[in-house]
Amino acid sequence: MDVPIEYFVLLSMALFSIGLFGILTRRNALLFLMSVEIMVNAANVNLIAFAFYHGNLTGQVFALFAMALAAAEVAIGLGIVLVLYRNFRDVDVTVPTTMRW
Amino acid sequence: MAVLELPQWTALAPALVFVATALALFVIDSINPHTRNRSLLAGTTAVGALAALGVTVWFMLAGVGTPTAEGGLGVVELFGGQFVVDQMTLFFTTVVSIVTALVAVASYDYMADHTYQSEYYSLIMLAATGMAAMAAANSLVTVFIALELASLPSYALVAILKDNRGSVEAGLKYFLIGALSSAIFLYGISLVYGATGHLQLEAIADNLDGADAYGGLLGLGILMLIGGFAYKTASVPFHFWAPEAYEGAPAPISAFLSSASKAAGFVIAFRVFTTAFPVEATTAVIGIDWTTAFVVLAIVTMTLGNFAAATQDNVKRMLAYSSIGHAGYALIGLAGLSADGGELVMGAAMMHLFVYGFMNTGAFLFVALAEYWGVGRTFEDYNGLARQAPVACAALGIFMFSLAGIPPLGGFWSKYILFTETIGAAGTNGAMLVVAAALVVNSALSLYYYSRLVKAVWIEDPIGERDALAQPIGLYAAIVVAAVLTVVALPAFGPIADAAQQAAAVAIG
Amino acid sequence: MEGLFDYAPAIALFPLAAFVIALAFGPKLPKKGAIPGIVATGGSLLLSLAMLAAVAGGEEGYYHETLFTWAAGDAAGEIGTDAIEFTFGILIDPLAALMLVIVSLVAFLVHVFSLEYMNAEGETGLPRYYAGLGLFTFSMLAFVYADNLLMAFMFFELVGLCSFLLIGFWFRTRSAPSAAKKAFLVTRFGDYFFLIGVVAIAATFGTVQFAGEDSFVAAAAAAIDDGGQLFGFDAETWVTITGLLVLGGVIGKSAQFPLHTWLPDAMEGPTTVSALIHAATMVAAGVYLVARMFGYYALSPTALAIIAFVGGFTALFAATMGVVKDDIKQVLAYSTISQYGYMMLGLGVGGYVAGVFHLMNHAFFKALLFLGSGAVIVLMHHEQDMWKMGGLKDKAPVTYYTFLAGALALAGIVPFSGFWSKDEILYDALIVGLEQPLIMAAYAMGLIAVFFTGFYTFRMVFLTFHGEPRTETAEDPHSVGWAIKAPLLVLGVLATVAGLANLAPVAKLTGAEISFLEYWLDGEYGGLEALTYHSYHETVPFEEGAIGSETTTMLLGAGLSLGLALAGAFTAHALYNVPSPTRHTEKLGGAYDVLRSNYYQDEYQVWLAEGLTLPVARAADRFDQTVIDGAVDGVSSVSLFGGDRVKRIQSGIVTNYAALLVAGFIALLIVLGFLGGWFL
Repeated sequence: MDVPIEYFVLLSMALFSIGLFGILTRRNALLFLMSVEIMVNAANVNLIAFAFYHGNLTGQVFALFAMALAAAEVAIGLGIVLVLYRNFRDVDVTVPTTMRW
Repeated sequence: MAVLELPQWTALAPALVFVATALALFVIDSINPHTRNRSLLAGTTAVGALAALGVTVWFMLAGVGTPTAEGGLGVVELFGGQFVVDQMTLFFTTVVSIVTALVAVASYDYMADHTYQSEYYSLIMLAATGMAAMAAANSLVTVFIALELASLPSYALVAILKDNRGSVEAGLKYFLIGALSSAIFLYGISLVYGATGHLQLEAIADNLDGADAYGGLLGLGILMLIGGFAYKTASVPFHFWAPEAYEGAPAPISAFLSSASKAAGFVIAFRVFTTAFPVEATTAVIGIDWTTAFVVLAIVTMTLGNFAAATQDNVKRMLAYSSIGHAGYALIGLAGLSADGGELVMGAAMMHLFVYGFMNTGAFLFVALAEYWGVGRTFEDYNGLARQAPVACAALGIFMFSLAGIPPLGGFWSKYILFTETIGAAGTNGAMLVVAAALVVNSALSLYYYSRLVKAVWIEDPIGERDALAQPIGLYAAIVVAAVLTVVALPAFGPIADAAQQAAAVAIG
Repeated sequence: MEGLFDYAPAIALFPLAAFVIALAFGPKLPKKGAIPGIVATGGSLLLSLAMLAAVAGGEEGYYHETLFTWAAGDAAGEIGTDAIEFTFGILIDPLAALMLVIVSLVAFLVHVFSLEYMNAEGETGLPRYYAGLGLFTFSMLAFVYADNLLMAFMFFELVGLCSFLLIGFWFRTRSAPSAAKKAFLVTRFGDYFFLIGVVAIAATFGTVQFAGEDSFVAAAAAAIDDGGQLFGFDAETWVTITGLLVLGGVIGKSAQFPLHTWLPDAMEGPTTVSALIHAATMVAAGVYLVARMFGYYALSPTALAIIAFVGGFTALFAATMGVVKDDIKQVLAYSTISQYGYMMLGLGVGGYVAGVFHLMNHAFFKALLFLGSGAVIVLMHHEQDMWKMGGLKDKAPVTYYTFLAGALALAGIVPFSGFWSKDEILYDALIVGLEQPLIMAAYAMGLIAVFFTGFYTFRMVFLTFHGEPRTETAEDPHSVGWAIKAPLLVLGVLATVAGLANLAPVAKLTGAEISFLEYWLDGEYGGLEALTYHSYHETVPFEEGAIGSETTTMLLGAGLSLGLALAGAFTAHALYNVPSPTRHTEKLGGAYDVLRSNYYQDEYQVWLAEGLTLPVARAADRFDQTVIDGAVDGVSSVSLFGGDRVKRIQSGIVTNYAALLVAGFIALLIVLGFLGGWFL
């Protein structure tokens, strides 16, 4: 293995931070979803890299599960975004504020 | 009871019953699309939940999970340790299945006019499957999958009133915070995996000492796992979704999420932290006792929940915040763990979750009833309801006083035991004294807003004229059963306490 | 005979049943509850007599049985070895058996008397009255045969409650409820100390039993012998302290100085109730308690001396006040206080037999006098002022002669019962007083009080019955029936002859063995060894002296007291036994005002309440209202305000939630990471 494990961790952390940044700054629900996907993929990078590092396949298999789950999550998420648009005529996540305090 | 002769995989029978029921509902829907036969659908759901309950109780009585030394059948491990069926599994599966049954019965009336009946019930069943699986999960893989299995249908359920802005908003917020939290959780899993090289919980514990070089990584991973659990149990700082989700969701779903889902969140937290991260070994690696985090979270969660609940005008939202407060009480179970045990505190927390399952479900179902009547949402709107519906309001009184922890109701005993065990744990961890003090202060405060609701219902005069109130059979039945269970929890407290303490002792090992 | 004891609980349970019946069915019963009451107290009387016989004739001569244990603790007392047990039990020894007979007899007669006094007068609320009487009798009987201090305390309190209910029977008047409250509060004040005493005794000795191996009396005696320390005091000092605490209850209930003020006011109740209170129940309970645990007081000379001195002082003090009263019941009330003072004096000097003897005699003659005065009140159409009476002698001979018998007994004129017991008390006080100056003072006061007793008693008799009728009602009195006359006759006979029970002076002079009561209390006929007179007498630490020989001393004392009593009686005769007596109060000058105002006892107690306690209470209230309530209100306002602020972080905007969530997570990460050293 030529690339040290730390680089992978740094990469994944960068991805995670990018995703987090997106969540904190984007108001569009779809961009919000995409940012979450980036964070999930950051975890996947980690899992695969560590699987390689530890020499067992657990992480890689789990990464497959995680992707499937992320897809399911997006499916639900898109459904919710859809009804959000129907009700609020917008996909801005900061618009629905009928309930607070 | 010939449990032994069954194949090993049948140990997961409760979860399998749930999933089978969900599939049965799909089948019904495909034979007769958009069926409005509520009796059939709600009945199937309730029967499925009760069957799961029956199987669970049967397992318990047969001795599944009881150590073989005590004449039981021992803990059942499945799929290479990915799942485990022990007393804690069965204990929490009981909670989940009872709450599911109550919710199904109550939904019969509440969702009467809804278009998508079979989808609603099958989503409930799938979420219940996820929760039952959470109770049995013994690897971070299964924990994550089960957690998502419970969460994804929940998002849909919260937003299921598609034309109701509140429901949609609640679903959106729940989903967004949930997605963020599960991403954090997943990243935490990846870090733990990176540090130890394993995802199976016992294997993680065995390889902790090998993670010396990655102490910080492991610590961050554990903290992120805590975040995931905090989200599922609606604890600070991952609680933000809860008030809105509970307020906006259909009331039976609020009951379902705040009781069953919270209990399931706690069972994975209990299991992961007791099995994978033994206090002593983990402290040696990450340099700090992770119970510190739970001490802080428990205090902040119960304080925030109760304080915010105190000034609410909306009953459902008050219950939502109170639910956060109770999550804080249950967190004490993890805060009280220590190198030399703490199973008493954890057992007490499990007891509290058990009793809480009934009283909180009942309280939300009363709100469901009020919404069914259409009397309004605020305390004032509830004024004088007792004159028209004394039975339901008497049940509400039981729920409120039990939630507040007034003797002799079940909520008092669980809170009392939690308190005494917290004091007991202060011997090894001085911070527990602060936790105990916070518990008392918050309980006192909670009495204020719980009794306020009872006062509104029983003492105040109605603001305006109100039409005669219907008496929906399903909702009434569910409320009465929940009330009876809350009261019966008192004489039954000995066995419940024993079961919880035993489960906790076995889990801690 | 022994099997009889098994029926002992019924003695108290009969009146309880009468209470329940009167309460539940009273309004529907023909006599509104009188019949069940009479039957029940009659049954109690018969059973009590049977107990008396059983004690006398039985092998063991006593009955001590624990019936019910209602709390058993793990803790032992300071020096107790066994765990404390709180029980209900029955102890029937000669003292208790005697008292049971007295109480049930008086209660029975009072019930009979009530038939005419209450029923015939058309009172309303009679079921309540009879229920009260039943409960009163039940409490007192249960108190009498209580075998431990705690049970005694509980029934002692119940007695107090019943007296409250009965004194306030005419609750629509202004004075009766106030008198009832006063009686309750003043006696409760004393009972407060009693309660502390009970707790102290239980905590010290780990037992509250009166009798037996494991009684607190025996434990205290053993502790004093050991010479150890109890709660940082000498054992004897501690016994004195606890004994005096219990004595607080006695002083309240038996109306001793300074807690006597409630008793004269208690006359607001029906006269029958007064008879019961004064003769057999409430007031007797205090002195009986001292007799019951006499073995304990006998251990402490200090406590005994205090009892004797308080008794002697009260005897004189109350007698002087009785001199100037105009209300016939008031005179009797002060005489009661005075007579109980004698009993305390007797017990305090170690004259156990004398004290109990006087308790018995007093029960008879005071019940007689009260019922007699009740008869007079009926005669006079509910007029109680003696100055409006006069000349009743010829019109109501039965009432007059029985009343006269009571009066002679009260004044202590030989050979009526009161003479014998009072003389014995004074004799016992004298022989101890010759060695102890303090007791001598008590004796002197008791002696002087004899004069006043004779005076006020006969002043009362002469004003009421002699001379010319002074009002129209006195000219033509109401007639009284058998229900009034029969109890008077029974008691009249008893008041006359009860002295025969213990003719100690005669016995000493002639050598005849006729001091039966002494033998009785000494366990000659049966009893518990530790609870006998000679056992007490050995314990009592007083030296006894004599003037010349013992007989000389006795004769001297008897002559002195008889002479003083006669002097008092003749003074009254001279002043008031004239056709138209006049007030002679102006001769007393300034003393009259003092006496008339009861030595300003009420005034200073009211001042204590209003001038001292009330301002303190007001200050405490203000403190509570402002500081405490303010703090509590402040906490709640701050909590609600805080809650209002806390919920504002829930802004409704999901992006804010995400930010706060991450911020919270990072804060946690920083704290934990810093503590765990993850960043190094």
